[in-house]
Amino acid sequence: MFSKTAKSRSSQRGSRGREARGSKPGSARRLFRFLMLLTGLGIGIGVPWVIWLDMQVRNEFEGRIWDLPSRVYARPLSLYSGQSIAKDALLTELKAAGYRQVSAATTAGTYAVNGNRFDIHRRAFTFEEGAEPAIRFLLQLGSDSLVSLSKASGAGDPGLLRLDPAEIASIYPLHEEDRSLVALKDAPELLVTGLQAVEDRQFKHHHGVALRGIARAFWANIRAGKAVQGGSTLTQQLVKNYFLSSERTLIRKVNEAIMAVLLERHYGKAQILEAYINEIFLGQQGKHAIHGFGRASEFYFDRPLQELEPEQIALLIGMVRGASLYNPRRNPERALERRNQVLEVFASTGLMTQSAAKAASARPLGVTDEPRSGGSRFPAFLDLVRRQLVRDYQPSDLSSEGLKIFTTLAPSDQKYAQQAVTRGLEELQQRGLPADLQAALVLADVASGEVRALVSDRDAGSDGFNRALDARRQIGSVIKPLIYLLALEHAADYNLLTRVTDKPISLRLENGKIWSPENYDDKSHGEMALMDALVHSYNQATVQVGLKVGVANLIGKIRQLGVDADIPAVPSTLLGAVELTPIEVTQIYQSLAAGGYSVPLRAVTAVLTPTGELLSRYPLRFMPLENRQAIALLNFALTQVVEEGTARSLHQLLGNETPIAGKTGTTNEKRDSWYVGYTRDRIAVTWVGLDDNRPAGVTGSNAAMRVWAGLFRSVPIEAVDLRMPDGANFVWVDKLQQALTDPSCPGAVQIPFIEGSEPQASTDCLQALEKTNGKSSWRKWFDRKD
Amino acid sequence: MIEKIRLSGLIILLLLAACSSQQPPPQEPPASVDVVNQRVRTPASQDSAGVQVYSLQNPAVKQLTAQAHDAEKAGNLDQAGAYLERALRIEPGDPQLLQHMAEIKLQKEDWQQALNFAERSYDIGPRVGEICSRNWRTISVAREHLNDPGGASVAEQRATQCMNTRPKGF
Repeated sequence: MFSKTAKSRSSQRGSRGREARGSKPGSARRLFRFLMLLTGLGIGIGVPWVIWLDMQVRNEFEGRIWDLPSRVYARPLSLYSGQSIAKDALLTELKAAGYRQVSAATTAGTYAVNGNRFDIHRRAFTFEEGAEPAIRFLLQLGSDSLVSLSKASGAGDPGLLRLDPAEIASIYPLHEEDRSLVALKDAPELLVTGLQAVEDRQFKHHHGVALRGIARAFWANIRAGKAVQGGSTLTQQLVKNYFLSSERTLIRKVNEAIMAVLLERHYGKAQILEAYINEIFLGQQGKHAIHGFGRASEFYFDRPLQELEPEQIALLIGMVRGASLYNPRRNPERALERRNQVLEVFASTGLMTQSAAKAASARPLGVTDEPRSGGSRFPAFLDLVRRQLVRDYQPSDLSSEGLKIFTTLAPSDQKYAQQAVTRGLEELQQRGLPADLQAALVLADVASGEVRALVSDRDAGSDGFNRALDARRQIGSVIKPLIYLLALEHAADYNLLTRVTDKPISLRLENGKIWSPENYDDKSHGEMALMDALVHSYNQATVQVGLKVGVANLIGKIRQLGVDADIPAVPSTLLGAVELTPIEVTQIYQSLAAGGYSVPLRAVTAVLTPTGELLSRYPLRFMPLENRQAIALLNFALTQVVEEGTARSLHQLLGNETPIAGKTGTTNEKRDSWYVGYTRDRIAVTWVGLDDNRPAGVTGSNAAMRVWAGLFRSVPIEAVDLRMPDGANFVWVDKLQQALTDPSCPGAVQIPFIEGSEPQASTDCLQALEKTNGKSSWRKWFDRKD
Repeated sequence: MIEKIRLSGLIILLLLAACSSQQPPPQEPPASVDVVNQRVRTPASQDSAGVQVYSLQNPAVKQLTAQAHDAEKAGNLDQAGAYLERALRIEPGDPQLLQHMAEIKLQKEDWQQALNFAERSYDIGPRVGEICSRNWRTISVAREHLNDPGGASVAEQRATQCMNTRPKGF
């Protein structure tokens, strides 16, 4: 290029030399040739240049539509009469979903509360199954449940309502950006008109660049003595934003102007304005750039763009000029001054009355103290969401599509779970346990396997090691129920009353060492019912049973229950020398709690495109296990752990006598504390220990169970489901005599048996009753054969 | 960048294709849509001769069930499934919901899940009356398609016994 230019210069000089000699026709020809050359050069360089710029800017413009990060939502809260929900939980849910408390809920996204009476104005929202309009409704709470629901319009009970879900994160694996897409038609009118009034009054008329605008801005700035208006059109600003760079050279300016003209040729004003509203840079949160007014509205005011007050819109428009300079959190005075300048423009252009603008100028900035985080409110849960998505999607889908991802997180449950861990560990510290204890907690819905809360650290904000998903720790006695389950599956040999013996046992291991497990209290407890060996978690009795059912079968059972872990086939496995993560333990026990209907734990329920079309659903799928009768028997035994066994202090900790199932777990030298517990609808697993695996002084009941209780003091507790499946029944028996008895006889208890495995003998009391009264109706029913 | 170009190219191609071609004819509904009525609901209602053992449903579940029925009638089985899933979140142990879901799965020709939902409904349901008959008839159809003709005829047999089988469990 340089040599060509040099050549053309020498030919110019040469032509002038000959001109001086007065050869007119020749010089005209030469001038023509020169002009042709210039035109050729112009076309040769300029046209490809413009084409290249055109490609660049179109790619950016079109590419950005697909460049939105995926937004991640919590589960929407369903509201209906009779629902179990406490006032604090409802307030937590409203707050998480970004609802503001006001005196009357006249606008969407607000609520008013008076005692236990709520006035809620639900926003319009596109749920998994489709769009629902905004609705205002009244809600009356009782002590722990929803008493009534009615439409504010007085049109009766709406039956079932849902709050729009809390937005819990944006996922942007490839770009450190965060955006909240707003359609032009949904943008507040004041934003659309105000932007043009402040930044580009000729927007509707120009073709990308506006000389009049530049002149006007120049004049306005001179009059004001400072920069109050910019000369770039909105289109130029959009282009500039696409190729954000601190470089301010003339060539860049020219390029931007050319690209602005090109953009205007290809796209309509509305498209350009919509792109601008969603694209413009309005701040920085750590590594993440805040792009667009929608995201900025959430970031600065913690509410959707549609709900902003005029002065808040003015502040954001003012920030276009310099998001950092006018950052309302860091430079509140400058931001206020700028905002009021914008309000003046609103008034002078007739967008607001003078008095309204004056009133708005008197109001404070109204930004929240803490920026609403795009991605770090629930880091542990989000980690699980990511893993599920990565397992099921292409990374390019996730980073580039602007999807709406619906998850199973319950914000109120998550809050209570984190509180239970944080406060629980502080309490344990006060009771003399180490100050650096750590914990993990998984809370899931029993029937659907939906994960409602996940805690991976005693500190809420920590997004380091995800203990709930990755901490592999020995599970101790938490393994025992599986051994008893294997035994109960052999109904011919075992029922819950089968006598087993808790006595010293020594085994020679493969390495030649002798293994002699002890009980927790260093005693042996002799003969007892199978059920009681589990209820009291006796090691020696469990090993006796375990050796009969076989270590290999135990490992097979763990696999069958959905956990594919590498487990050594050695006798100590029978006492839980098996390392599993809290989420794996939850998976195993979900299958049991759900009566043998296993579902993979899931954190994602559906994925929608930005326009609300369903991209994929994760439908509920069951996997029924064999021998569900044995599982039902085991569930009953696990309720007895709480009634009279190792977890018997739980009712007192909860202040609630409702039957629930559970199992404690402790490992050697008190390094790990586990508690697995479930009600009809909720299962939670808690682990407490030290990261470096030092002895921590923790046992199942002194640590993890206390954390578990801390959570279940805050969530509804329903009696665990003990309905027996086909082929198992509750029978009145005398435990000691292992005999059938009558409910009126002393020592009579109801215990479930798999049909055919019930005791054959009758107690003397039952025999005597039957002699005088004939068989009781339940015995007749029981003896009847099909 | 190249991906973006490819993506936009692809989109343009798809748009052009959408413009140039005609709407595809509506798909024939799978034969299984009728199966539910012919082989499950109608005979079950005849078996039971009006004997229905239904648990009380809360209004929210009722509403969702009605919406699921409407979606089902309109042929939108995914939507129907989504409504039932919402209802199951409220009442996870409702045998009617589980059976309804089994019938949706049957229409979707998801035989294994149809079987699983029907079994769960039977396990925790009344095990008598119309719902019991629907449970076994669903299991029968599902087993047929899962190459278990023996199991299918046993299930068919069980369906006819729903009116004289004594309730067990509690």
